[in-house]
Amino acid sequence: MRSTFLSALGATAFATLLGTGAQAATICFAFQDLETEFWVAGHKAITTTLTEAGHTVIERNANEDANRQLEQVNDCIAQGVDGIIIIPQDGESAVTIVQTAQDNDVPIAVFNRPPSDLSKGIVVVADNATIAEQAVDFVAQEAMARITDRPIQPLIIVGDLGDPNAVGRKDGFYAALQKYGDKFATPIEVASEWDAATALANLEAAVTANPNIDLIFTSSDFLFPTIRSVLEPRGKWVPRDQEGHVLMAGLDGDATACQLIKDGFVDATGVQDLYFEAESAMNAILAAIEAGETQPNQVIEDPGFALTSANLGEREMDMWGCVLLSEGFLNN
Amino acid sequence: MTAMLTQPVPATPAARPLRRTLARALLSDWFVLWLTLAYFLILLPVLPTLGTPANLANLLSNAWPLLVVALGQTFVMTIGGIDLSQGAVIGLTSTLGAALIATAGPPEVLSKAPIWGLLIFEDGGVLAGQLWLGLLAMLLAGALVGLVNGTLVAWLDMPAFMVTLVSLITVGAFAIWLTQSENIRNLPDSYVALGKGEIVSVYIGPKEEPQIPRRQVHELVTYAALVAVTLAVALHLLLERTAFGRQVLAVGANRRAAEIAGVPVRRIIVLVFVLSSLCATVGAVLYSARLEAGRPTLGEGTFLLDVIGATVIGGTSLFGGKGKVLWTVFGVLFFVLLSNSLNLMNLSTFHIDMVKGGVILAAALLDVARTRLLRGMA
Repeated sequence: MRSTFLSALGATAFATLLGTGAQAATICFAFQDLETEFWVAGHKAITTTLTEAGHTVIERNANEDANRQLEQVNDCIAQGVDGIIIIPQDGESAVTIVQTAQDNDVPIAVFNRPPSDLSKGIVVVADNATIAEQAVDFVAQEAMARITDRPIQPLIIVGDLGDPNAVGRKDGFYAALQKYGDKFATPIEVASEWDAATALANLEAAVTANPNIDLIFTSSDFLFPTIRSVLEPRGKWVPRDQEGHVLMAGLDGDATACQLIKDGFVDATGVQDLYFEAESAMNAILAAIEAGETQPNQVIEDPGFALTSANLGEREMDMWGCVLLSEGFLNN
Repeated sequence: MTAMLTQPVPATPAARPLRRTLARALLSDWFVLWLTLAYFLILLPVLPTLGTPANLANLLSNAWPLLVVALGQTFVMTIGGIDLSQGAVIGLTSTLGAALIATAGPPEVLSKAPIWGLLIFEDGGVLAGQLWLGLLAMLLAGALVGLVNGTLVAWLDMPAFMVTLVSLITVGAFAIWLTQSENIRNLPDSYVALGKGEIVSVYIGPKEEPQIPRRQVHELVTYAALVAVTLAVALHLLLERTAFGRQVLAVGANRRAAEIAGVPVRRIIVLVFVLSSLCATVGAVLYSARLEAGRPTLGEGTFLLDVIGATVIGGTSLFGGKGKVLWTVFGVLFFVLLSNSLNLMNLSTFHIDMVKGGVILAAALLDVARTRLLRGMA
C-alpha cells in the first residue's frame, strides 16, 4: 500500500495533506548543496510539495559554505519569512543558524543533518547508528559464513565527522562488528569528508596498502561509484555469486544502491525514509507557523531499516531509491 | 587609413564639458559611493525589503568582516601585488585560535587530530580562559604566513600571484590536517561576542506590546563594526598620513623609481604582505566568532572572489600605485549590497556568482579606463 502511494505520487505525495488547514506561508528553504541523490530527492519533495500546497518557497543554495548559509538565512529572516527549513553544511553551523532563527522568532526545522545540539529547533533525523548497525550486521554475518579460516578484514569509509550523521553511522558500524569479537581484524578507516574526490584518493591508497579487504561499509551510498572505480581495475568489483566478491554495505537508500543490490554488487544498505523525513519537517514547521509558535523544539526520529539482498523482494518498494529507480530516475 | 582610425577624434566644443564631467566622476573618490546609492535607490521601489531596518542591519553585519579582509588586500594591490592566501590564513588562524581557547574538546570528534593532546584536551584548549593570548597567537600565526609570502616576493623576486597561490594550497591543507577537517566549537562567550555581540540595538516603531519581539530589534553598533571601523581608520591614516603609506604608493607606482629614490622596497613589500595576513586573521576572528566555531575550510570557495571583487570595485588599481582605504569601504558596501539584492531577487547561487563575476570584470575595465584617463590628463 505504502509503495503504491509513493510510486503513484512520487515527491508530491503529501501535497494535499499539507494544503489543508494551513494558511499560505512563505518558507525559506536553505540547503548546503545538492551533491547526492538523497539531497536532490529531498529538495524536490520539499519544494514541489510546499509550492503545490500554495506556499511560497524561497530557495537558498549555500554551495557548501557555512558562512554563506548563515548570511542567506539572515537574508531570509530580513525578508520576513514565516519559517525556515534548512539542510545545514554541518552540525556545528546548524547550531548557530538555529539559534539565529530562534533569536529572531522564526521557527526553523533542520532536515536530516542534525545540529550538534539537538535541543533547539525542529530536528528531523534518522537513527543513523541503528540503521548502520542493521546493514553492517547483515554483511558481517555473510562474511563469517564465507570466511572461517582467518580474521575478516573490514573497511569503513567515514563521512565528515563534524556531521552527527557521520558519527552515528561510524558508531553503528563498530557496534555491529564488536558483537563478533576477534572474527574481524581492526577495521581500516578511510576519510571521505563527504567528498567523492577525497574518498577516491584515500580509498585508492587504502586498497593499495591492504589488497585483501573482505568487507566495505560506505557511510553514504553516493560513494558506491567511487568504490567501483577503485575495485574494478583490481578485478574486485564482482557480484555476490562469483569468486572474489567484496561484501558491501552502505547507507541512505538511493537509486544507485537499489540498482547495485539488484545487480548483486552491493549486499545491503541502511535506508533513511526520505519521504517520511521531508513530510515530518514540513508538517512540523507549518504547524508551528499555524500555532504562532516561534521557537518550536522537537526531535523527530526516522527509525529506518536495512534493505538487504535477502529481503529485497519484500521491502524493495519501501526504499525511496527503489521507488525512484522504478520511475526511471537513473535513466533521466 | 590605419593612422586615421587610431587618431583620437577631437571632441566638439559641446561634448567637451560632458567628457570632462564624466572623467571627473570616474576619477572621483566618491564615485563608487554614488554608484552604490544609485543602485540602492533604483532597486528600492522594486525590492522594498532592501530598505527595511532588518535588512540594512543584516547588510552591515555582512560588510564588517569582509571589509577587514579587503583592507589588507588593498595594501597588497596598491604595491601591484595580489594576496590569494587570505582565505587559507582565515582557515588556519580560526582553527588554531579556536583550538587554543576552546572551553572543551569533544574526543569523539577531535581525538584523531594532530592537535589533540597538544593544543586541545577534553577540558579545553591550552589557553582556555586567556582570550587575549589566544588572539595574539592567531595574529602571530597569520603574520608568519605573511612574512613567508612577503619574503619570497621581495627577496626572491617571485610573482605574488604564484607565491600566494602556493600558500593558499599549503596553508589551507595544513589547516585541514591540523583537525582532520573537523570544526572546533565550544568557543568562549567573550570570543563569540566579537562576531555577534551588539553594543547598541534599536527598535523603530510604536511600543504597543510590553515585550518588543526580538525580530523587530535591530543591531546598530556591534563589536564587529567597532573592530572594522577602528581598523579602517587606522589603516587610512597609515596609508594617507605616514611615510610608510607614501612608500607603499611609490612601490606600486614604479618599483625601480622607488628604489632609486631610496625607498626600502623589499621591506615595504614584506610589511605589506604581513599586514594583509594580519587583516585576514582579524577577519578570521570575526567570521569564526559569528559562526561560533573555528573552521579549517573557512575562507574557501568563492570567498576570495568577494575580497578581491570588493577591493577592485572600490577602485584600487590592479596595476598598483593607486589605492585608498575609503575606496575599499565603498567597494565593500557596493559588493555586499549587490549580493544582498541578488539574494532578495531569489536568484540561484550560480546566477549570483555569475553576476558578481561580471561586475568585477566591469570594475577591472573601469580601472583600465581610469588609468588611461589619468595618463591622458598627465
